[in-house]
Amino acid sequence: MSVAAGGGAAKIDKTKLMMYGLGGGVLGIYLAHVLNEVTGTTYFSFLAGLGVIAAVVMGADATRRVCSYGIGTGVPSIGLMAMGMGLVAAMFGLSIGGVAGPIIGIAVSMGFGYFVGLLTNRIIKMNIPVMEETLMTLGGAGAIVLIGLGVMVSGVIDYRTIIGNVIDTGYIAIIFIAGSLAILHPFNANLGPDETQDRTLIHAVSAGALAMFATGLASLETIGSEGIISMIVAAIVWLVFFRRFFELVKRDSAGVKGTGLLPEGGL
Amino acid sequence: MIPPIDASMLVHIIEIVIGGLLVGIGVHFVPVGGAPAAMAQATGVGTGTVQLAAGSGLTGLLSAGLMMNYTDSIFLVVISGAVGAMIMIDATMIVGNWVYIYGVGAPLASAKANYDPITKDSQAPYVAPGTVGQGIPTVCFVSGTIGGLLGGAGGSLIYYVLLKINGDPGLSAFFAIGIFVVNAVIASYNIQGTIEGFHDPKFKRVPRAFQVCLVASLIIAIFAVLISGGH
Repeated sequence: MSVAAGGGAAKIDKTKLMMYGLGGGVLGIYLAHVLNEVTGTTYFSFLAGLGVIAAVVMGADATRRVCSYGIGTGVPSIGLMAMGMGLVAAMFGLSIGGVAGPIIGIAVSMGFGYFVGLLTNRIIKMNIPVMEETLMTLGGAGAIVLIGLGVMVSGVIDYRTIIGNVIDTGYIAIIFIAGSLAILHPFNANLGPDETQDRTLIHAVSAGALAMFATGLASLETIGSEGIISMIVAAIVWLVFFRRFFELVKRDSAGVKGTGLLPEGGL
Repeated sequence: MIPPIDASMLVHIIEIVIGGLLVGIGVHFVPVGGAPAAMAQATGVGTGTVQLAAGSGLTGLLSAGLMMNYTDSIFLVVISGAVGAMIMIDATMIVGNWVYIYGVGAPLASAKANYDPITKDSQAPYVAPGTVGQGIPTVCFVSGTIGGLLGGAGGSLIYYVLLKINGDPGLSAFFAIGIFVVNAVIASYNIQGTIEGFHDPKFKRVPRAFQVCLVASLIIAIFAVLISGGH
């Protein structure tokens, strides 16, 4: 593999990550929906957020693999594209599929990603061997992130509720940008010759937790005070994983020293 | 629930595809310099294609949405969106030029043309050694304005059509952004992240982006017209 921006070899296999990401994402979304429906509350909405974090890790790994080739347009472009594909497919799935909507949306998004990857390789001649597969993964991750965060805000998998609680309130803007940042930021922040997969992915978990926190804040207005559970869970996940990320930064760096503030007149 | 399929749906699909193509082609006109331009070592605005396209596209959507409050005419809405995007991209380029001229102290020069095709000014003597031009010279500025026109028109056309189908402004706007982003990223892959404008040799690659954007927009459009507003 030609490594332009990425560093060490992958310790965790991509298929394994994809299984965890897709499985965890779908499981989280449906558990949140079913438990909320059965108990008649919205206490379990945070489970959808945990599913989102699994999908974010999968998406961040795909970003890492494709951007290692140096796509020339900057890492953010591919994260935004993932959310663009995910948005259209997710809303389509929810609109026609009812409770099966998330599965349809994720499948459509992955199919679309594969197709766009195929076209960019064949017609635009990007010649990146992992393009099809990574855009497929990113499409799936984008769809899960959108649906999962949408379910966090609305509490259930129901198109009308999601339209009313997520789209018409404008929270879709937060979900769109916080979700795409969670996918694109980890590799964008860690890239370089010393990039390591575990550090990037741990960072992805903390970035996903931040997206979950922001969405939890939004859900306070829609599902009520139950949204505070999402915020607490997100804050704990962020704390734990950001500490681990900082440990890995110290492991991978030559040295970490506090320099203090600049002296008076030091500028 | 899938709505009944009729002939008007076909028209809507074609309109969305035209919108997507306008966005994809419009990106090729915008002078994008990426990170080198941010250090005044390349011609163009110092940021990525997607950021520029998103910025002008969102302003276009805002002005198109504003116009939709007053009229139902597709021409007025699309023109309003195009003008909004043009104002946005022009403001970005002129403020960028102020920074390059007065802040960095670099002369505006294109490295892709020896003579500016519009002003006929000589360019090569002003390109600093070791760089590929600086700032946004006249030809790039004009090109960027055309890019804003096409992108804004495309984005607001998509928004207009979707609003007619589902009647939900929020859903339509974010759908338009989704379609916009996908086409803008495909176009930016085609130019490999940087381009000076229509005088750049890379501009000859437009047909490739045209093909990919055509197919990608077509697929998205088919899904987009099937979505109901949920009201």
